[in-house]
Amino acid sequence: MKVGKRSRIQIYFDILRILSEELKNDKPSLTRVAHIANLPYDRFQKCLNTLIQLDMVREQNGKFLVTKKGFEYINEYERINGFLRRMGLLP
Amino acid sequence: MITEALIASEFISVGLALVLVYLFFKAYRFTRSTYLLGLLIGFSFLASSYIFLGMFLFYGNNAAISESFLWLRLVTQGYGYAFIAFAYYFSGKSEKTTKYFLGLISLFSAISVILFFVALIVAPPFLELPSIGVVDECLRLACLIFLGYIICNLVKHLEQSRKVISGSVWTLLAFSFLWLVQYSLLIWGIDDGQTAFIFAHIARLASLTLFIYIYHSSGRVGSESRKA
Repeated sequence: MKVGKRSRIQIYFDILRILSEELKNDKPSLTRVAHIANLPYDRFQKCLNTLIQLDMVREQNGKFLVTKKGFEYINEYERINGFLRRMGLLP
Repeated sequence: MITEALIASEFISVGLALVLVYLFFKAYRFTRSTYLLGLLIGFSFLASSYIFLGMFLFYGNNAAISESFLWLRLVTQGYGYAFIAFAYYFSGKSEKTTKYFLGLISLFSAISVILFFVALIVAPPFLELPSIGVVDECLRLACLIFLGYIICNLVKHLEQSRKVISGSVWTLLAFSFLWLVQYSLLIWGIDDGQTAFIFAHIARLASLTLFIYIYHSSGRVGSESRKA
């Protein structure tokens, strides 16, 4: 099956979602997050730095946490995606 | 009394359509998908068509002014549904193609609306516009075709989805209501009865409210699917 190229917005969403789910573990491994997000590690690092600059992720005691803004982004992405899917505009 | 209620419903429709414009703008700002501009422009045209219909009803006693508003209403409504249908057509296409065609269509529609305004101002002495009744029926048929295309597209989308998208039926229902609005107005144009005209207003309010409900209930679906 042909998988379409992900947009940057979708990649940020995937990273935030996986990071928030992995946070249930004591200390989520970034390599694991990059692997689940299906990204090469160097590209993942760039995206993570952008998310930190955007104040969606912050580092605390060597742990990467999703901020309130990050959770808002996840919710908004899901709402808009759900809306467009329900409208029959997304597969 | 009925006229006042109809004018009020026009302005409620304007408010609802503007909420939808805002929601599609938000979706566009988030996803940057060009086809969403079609929905944004389409619902903006529809909002302006409701304003013009409200003005037509308000100036019902003055034939010259009310006819001008009816003309404007017909043109903006036609473009509104055309843009929404284009958005559905381009939703599966590449960004490059969508940008190119949407740009062309927007340019063409902007020029034609300006030309139409000019024609309305200079028409009496120089130009003979066709009968409003004939244009009304033709444009209504065109709107029915556009809405029919969207409904077929939605049904196809529902059939092709590998998993059931909860709430998609509401979209189908909302567009079906809009189709019924056009059909009722077509009947109203033929028999001039109040029932079809009032039904069209109720169905339109129902469909616009449904679209907003779909957006607000989408958040719940997202969080539910995350929990699952």
